[in-house]
Formats: sequence, C-alpha cells, structure tokens
Amino acid sequence: MKHSIKPPRLADRIFTWYCDTTMEDLHGDLEELFYHDLEYMSVRRAKLKYWQRVASLLFSYAVKKRKQKAAHHHYAFTSFHPAMLKNYFLIGIRSLSKHRFFTIVNVLGLAVGMSISLLLIAFMSFLWRYDTFHVNKDRMYRVISVVTDKQRTDPLATAPVAVAQKLGEEYTGIEEVIRINSTLTAEASYKDKEIPLEGYYVDSNFLQVFTFPLLKGNIATVLSKPNSIILTEAAASKMFNTEDPIGKVITMGEQDFEITGILKNIPKNSHMQFEVLASYQTLLQSTKFNSAQSTDSWVDFRKSYIYLLLPAYHNTDAIEAYLNKVSAPIYAKEKNLSATFELQALNDIAPGRDLRYSIGPAWDYASLSIFIFLTILILLPACFNYANISISRALKRMKEIGLRKVMGGQRDQIFLQFIMETVIITMIALVFAYYIFTLVRSEFLSMLADRVGMDLSTDFYTIAYFILFALFVGLVAGIIPALYFARLTPIQALKTKPVSKGFSRISFRKFLIVSQFALSLGFIMGVVVVLNQYRHSLNHDFGFDQENILDVELQSANPQILRNEFAKLVSVQSISMSSHIAGTGASESIWLKDLHVTDSTEVYQMFVDERYISNLNLSLLAGNNFTEDIAQNKKHAIVNEEFLKTFGIKDPAHAIGQSYVLPGGDEITVSGVVKNFHYMPLRYPIKSFFFRYDSSRFQYANIKMITTDVFTSITEMESAWKMIAGEEKFTAQFFDDEIKETYAFYFVMVKMCGFLGLLAITISCLGLLGMVVFTVENRVKEVGVRKVMGASTTSIIVILSKDFMKLMSIAALIAIPLAYLFFDQVFVRMQYYHVPVGILEIVISLSLMFLLGLATIFSQTIRAARANPVDTLKCE
Amino acid sequence: MKGFIGEFEELVLLTIASLAEDAYGVAIKESIEKRADRSISIGALHSTITRLEEKGYLKSWLGEPTQERGGRRKRYFEVTHQGKIELHNMKALRDELWKLSKATLSLAK
Repeated sequence: MKHSIKPPRLADRIFTWYCDTTMEDLHGDLEELFYHDLEYMSVRRAKLKYWQRVASLLFSYAVKKRKQKAAHHHYAFTSFHPAMLKNYFLIGIRSLSKHRFFTIVNVLGLAVGMSISLLLIAFMSFLWRYDTFHVNKDRMYRVISVVTDKQRTDPLATAPVAVAQKLGEEYTGIEEVIRINSTLTAEASYKDKEIPLEGYYVDSNFLQVFTFPLLKGNIATVLSKPNSIILTEAAASKMFNTEDPIGKVITMGEQDFEITGILKNIPKNSHMQFEVLASYQTLLQSTKFNSAQSTDSWVDFRKSYIYLLLPAYHNTDAIEAYLNKVSAPIYAKEKNLSATFELQALNDIAPGRDLRYSIGPAWDYASLSIFIFLTILILLPACFNYANISISRALKRMKEIGLRKVMGGQRDQIFLQFIMETVIITMIALVFAYYIFTLVRSEFLSMLADRVGMDLSTDFYTIAYFILFALFVGLVAGIIPALYFARLTPIQALKTKPVSKGFSRISFRKFLIVSQFALSLGFIMGVVVVLNQYRHSLNHDFGFDQENILDVELQSANPQILRNEFAKLVSVQSISMSSHIAGTGASESIWLKDLHVTDSTEVYQMFVDERYISNLNLSLLAGNNFTEDIAQNKKHAIVNEEFLKTFGIKDPAHAIGQSYVLPGGDEITVSGVVKNFHYMPLRYPIKSFFFRYDSSRFQYANIKMITTDVFTSITEMESAWKMIAGEEKFTAQFFDDEIKETYAFYFVMVKMCGFLGLLAITISCLGLLGMVVFTVENRVKEVGVRKVMGASTTSIIVILSKDFMKLMSIAALIAIPLAYLFFDQVFVRMQYYHVPVGILEIVISLSLMFLLGLATIFSQTIRAARANPVDTLKCE
Repeated sequence: MKGFIGEFEELVLLTIASLAEDAYGVAIKESIEKRADRSISIGALHSTITRLEEKGYLKSWLGEPTQERGGRRKRYFEVTHQGKIELHNMKALRDELWKLSKATLSLAK
C-alpha cells in the first residue's frame, strides 16, 4: 500500500532513535493508528495525534522495560557494586601515577582555577551566616526609604525619626520600635586615656530585640536612663585594662556618660558593628540635638535607622501601606523631596540591596555578582582544560574501555569510572587550591572595604563546602570526557583507530585556547593600563606645588597661635591655612546667584588665607590676593577661570569687582582671578570654583619647609604643637603623599587584575602545555622521518609550533579590540583627566602574553626537534 | 492471593481472549475503546501489556511482516494458562460478591 501522506518525520525519527530496532511492533502500531485516524480526521490532527502517541510511548513503562531488557545481558549487574567502585578507584590512581606529567598539569591547572573559588565559597558561606544569631531574626525588619530629590532617586538604609514616632504611637500590631542614631562616634576619654570609639544611640529596648548578650548589667535598665552607656568587652579592656568599668564615667563628644553594662563582643557576621551603645534619651536631651524639631522631622534622613520587631503573624504590606499613606500628605508639602518607605527583613540586609548610608557592612548584590562572574571566568577554563587534555589522550585508554565494554561494562559504569577519576584529581587539586587560598586570604581581606565584617577563617562548614565544591568541579570537568568514553562502541575502542589527531577534529579545543589567551591578554592589559593611569595621575600637572608641604590638622588649635609658634622654627618657610586639601577629597559646593539673574549656579569653594596662593604657587591672572584686613577679606572671593566661563566673563580683568549673592543673602565681590587648578581629584572635571576667607573654617595648616632633615624638623614641630594644643595628637602628612593616597585605589586594582591575570595566564599556559605535549608525542615518528629526510631543527620547530602560534595570534586579534574598547571607552573614562590607552600598552601586554605562550610551546617543540631520529624510529 | 490484577489489566486480558487469533496492539486498543467507550493511550496500553507479560499472564510472538505497517511485524498476544486461572479467580470472587449482595444491588424499586 502506498500512501502519499506520511507520519511526521521528526516524531518518527525520535522514536526510532530512542527505541532502536527492537520495537518495530510498537512502531507498526503507531503507523497503523495514524492511517486509521486519517480516514476520519484532518491531516493536521492526525499528525498531532501521532506526536501524542509517540510521546506517550516514549515515557511508557513498556519502552523502558524493553530497553532495559535489550541492553542488559541476563547476568549483568544493574546496580553499582562496591567492588567495582574500588576497582575504579584503583585503576584511577594507577593511571594517574603512570601519566605523571599530565596529572601534574591537570592538578596544577585545577588548583589554580579553584583557588579563587575557595575564596568565594569562604566568603559566601560567611555571608549566609550573617545576622543569624539574632533570636528574633524572622520577625525583625528595618524601615528603609526611597528618597527622590531634585537630582535623583535613591534607596536609603535610613528613615526619618518621625516614622518611628508614628509607628510607635499610632500603629497597633508592632511589638517594638527601635530608633538607632549613628552619630555617637567620637574620642572617648577617661582620665588621661583617649580612644576613638564607634557606636550608636539606641532605644532602651534595643538589647531585648537584638541578641547582643550582656556580660554585666541589667538588660532591662542599662539603657533606660539618659547618659548611660554600655561598652563591648574589647572596648572596655582598651579603656580600662583590668579595672572594673561599671559605674565609671567617660567623656565622649563633650558629654559625660556613666557605664552601666558590658556587652559581649559583636560577632563579625553582624551588619551592625559598634563598640559602644548610649541611651537614646541622652540624644533627646543633648543640646546639639533639637528634639522638638528632629523627632518630628520627615526630611532628615541622616544617620537615623529604625528597626521593628513584629508579632509572629505579621503583615509587612499593611505597615508599608500605612506608612506611605501617612507620609504622602507630608511630602506633598515639601518642595524638594519626597520619600516612600519599605520594610526590609533582617535577613535581606546583608547581603542585600545596594542602599546608601548603610549602617555597617552590607555586601550588595551587584559587587557579589561581579565576584561570582570573575570566579566562573577563572574556574571554567580550568575545567575545560581538563576535559580537553583528557579527550585528547583518549587513545591511551581505548583498549581498556573496549575490554570493559566487551566484558559487560555498562555505559553508566564507564561514565562513573571517569567521573571518579576526575574527582580524585580535583580532590588532590583541592589541597593545593587550599594552600593558595591561605596565601591570598589576608591580601584579599585587606582589599575589602568592609573588612571588619568579614571572616575568612575556615571552620567545619567551610571545609565541608570546599569538599562538596571539589566534587562538583569533578563532575563539571569530568562530564565531557566521561560521556565521550561511555559512548564509545567496543569495536571503535578495540580497533583503536585514532579518533583525533591534534587539531584536525575538534574546533572546540581551538576555541578554548583562543578564548583563554584572549582572557589572559585582557587581564594583562588591565594591569598595564591601570599602572599607566596611576603614573599619569601622579605626574599630572595639578596646577600647584606639592613638594615639601606638610599639612597639619588644626583640630582645636588656634590658627593664629599656631602660625606664630611654627613660624619661629628654622625649617618652616611659610605657613598658610585652608579648609580642605586641594586635589584629594571632595570639595564642598554652594549655590551662587548672579545679582541680576534668579537662577543659581553650583560653585565649589575652599576657605584659605592670604598666603595660600603663594604657598602652593598658584598663579594669579588678575586682581589681588586676600589682604591682611580680615574684615574686608570676608566680602571677597578669588575665582578660577572656569568661573569666568560659567558666568560669561571673557577677560579676567573685567571680573574684578563683580558681585554675587551667597545662599544666605550676603554679597561677595570678586577680587582676583586664579589660573585653573585641580582642587578635586582628577576623576572630576574642573568646574567653577572660588577661594573665600573665613578663619573659623580653617582645618589645615599648610607648612612649606626648607630642610633636608625631615625627621628633626617634624620633631621640632611636634614639640611646638604640644605647647599650643596640649593633649591633642599631632597629625601631619606630606601633601604629595596625600595626593598619592588619593590614587591608591588604582593599586588595589593592579593587585586584583594582576592576581586574576596570573591565574588566567597560568591556566592558559598549562592548557597549552598539555596540548603541545600531546601533539608532539603523537608526531614523534613524523619528526623522526622528517629529520632523516634532512629537515633542519628550525624547520621542525616551526612546523610543530605553527598551529599554536596561529591560535595565539587569533586570540590577540580578538582580545585587543575588545580590551581596547573596554579600557579606553569604559574604564579610563572613570577619571575625567585620563590618559588614553596607547599603542605602547597594547604592545607590552601582547609581548608579555607571547613571551609566556611561546616559552610554553618551545619548551616542548625544541626538545622534540632535537631528538635523535634513531631513538624515535628504531622501534618501528 | 486472589485478585492480583487491576481493573484495566483484567479488561486487557479479557479483550485479548475475546480477540483470539487477532490480538495485537491496535486491535486491542480499538476493541477496548469501542466496547468500554473510553479512549486509552497507546503508551498506557503497552505498559499494561508489558506488566501482564512480566507477571506471566500473557505470552507474545511476532507475526509475519505486513504491508500496511510499512513492512513491520505485528506482535500477537495470547493469555497463558496462569492468566486464565487468574481470570477465573477474579470472576469467582466477583460472582461470590454478587451473590451476597443480590438484595442490595437490585435495581427494582
């Protein structure tokens, strides 16, 4: 019978592929039913039905059973016998120790790849345990706010105090409301001891809600009275050594506190890190805190955190809705700002969303994902390397596998055998990876911003995670070779016909080597570019002198007295005063108005005295410097060139005498114009800026020194300082050091890029080494014949190395444009005054990569090319 | 133990018996569908048949290649002696229960 309509081909194919030929009766049934259906159905429906039937058969017990029967010999084991596992283990160990070179290459590669993963695992396993020690952790929430002001919308970790007021007094169904104010950070003094302590003002119910155990003191009363304070054990021993601190009075920020209790030290996995806690009552009564205004304030978001303890059955949506309902009319009246509130569960704080003003270590998701991404970027190539090398060496194992199959070895059993072998390797690699991990751990910690809240020491759990991870890596790395070996048919295997020769078969390998080298090149370029950027930043002409200037923090010293005293010293040439240190941190800005225009313009400002300009060697383009007359100085400003541009003044001379209105309503007159200089770090462009004079704002004395003996002159200054400021510590730093420090983050980047680059290039070179050795081994005979026929050593080296050099060139061709685009367009533009990525950097990175790559290749090919053909050919 | 087979299994066994010489996959499926007025999936049918074969109630053999099935052979089924005993057991159990519940099951009102 001939039919013009056939069953759907794909379904047919799938069925025959899955069921082999042993199920022709089922297949016949399918087809018969299909033609039956066709008699009273549309073709489409019949085909659909055919698909359904195929699916129903594929997953049916009938097919499963028949497949098992077909595949298994009657006496074959279907389960894994312990004896077989033992055998796999033994064979694995034997084959590893027999091919020592490849074992070493594999172990090293995997160890390097896994080392950074161990960092990540230790890091993550610590993060998972964040804030888990609080007994009430499932019922604790933080009120966070999303604030929209003129410029942008920001999620903040803070919330105004008025929210606490509202929730505490008017909302039922919240067990506890806790206010925390993080302004209690100051020098704490007791007798003659002075120690900086960090801490919060908290409500008296704080300790009942948060699980921070008290060692001494009564949990109900320690924080109930004004001016009571509790210290952590560590802070107490710093202050009092062995003395009993209870009842002692310490002074912090011009306020006396009585110590009422001692806390156990704060665990590192807490998102709050503090040393002292003072009662919130203190804050309410203190003079610097105008309570009438601040407790009602809905607009003050700074340093104020609100935590809630909810009953066991709670509805956070209702509280959020309530808050937003109450606050809406209040913010409707505000012109510049509005806010909405959300509740954040304690478990979601760290790791959590990226919030501004976070109270302690927060570990936001964005940076975590970058970390994870980088880890995978390093780990995956290492795994693929292993797979690559294993498959390329399949030839050596073919006979064994063939024999196993003939003796009744099942697919799954061969699969398990090779997975097991991989796991053995990863376990050995884990030991080395752990060693690398211990080496880089402290360095890594020091690069973290919030290192107080991180502990990378290993405990039982982390070790368990490490081992699980090694198992997992074994699975990932081993799955490709294991599948490959398991799929071999006995005939294929026993005939040992060469499955692949060098690169001829799998382009996947080429792709692997290319991508690894491209990645390494990217990291190398990162190091070179960042170093260059760093050098550029330091050598950049800031527009002022940095050498031989010592910046002394004034603290509470009187600028005039300090000037008089320090001027007496021989080493001091001149002294000026300033409110900021140019070219380092952020500058403050105010909104300045033109006399005639209503719009205001943002202008950066710095308060300096009349000697500052000459001291830093800034050049005055027009007008005059500040004078000795302090009263007059306050009305004057010295502007920069950019200022003139912004206000549309062409000639510097015309600017003199122009008046502007300050935010308070005071007028200020331009008395001079100074050449543009970098008052902020190079990351930011030079904007409108002016110098003003206000001796109450001076923070630093800039001392120009003329001396070669820095040490003695600083000691002299210190003794002079003792006379002026007494107890306060003399803090001074050289100007150029401070500038250098501003760019220290480049150093962190160099370290990071360098480390990752080192890992990447090591893995790439190991992978390459494996491939080269394999190719060379396979071509030993060919080389021998060539030599006999008169080929020179050089020509043989070229023949053997050609393929690999081609791959590296491709890697370079791919990586250079990508890395160039990334570094030139994205990375260096993070800094406004940057140096573009030049040819030189590319050449340096390239030659570094080729140097390492070629060294790897030649180390093997030269040896092969030099070999005596007699040795290689005599056995034929 | 009596009544070791399920309802669908019993149905399949009886249908195979009723089809005698002509009991193969499609015929069994269509016969059940027509008589019991329910649609059954081919996967479910063959699964059940496989189970019955495992229990030893059915035996099967492949027939001659057929034209209409693309040259593929049919697999014919036959109830074994053990299968027959099981069916008898099932029926006896049912009859006994019917006899006992004659009064309550009467449809007369």
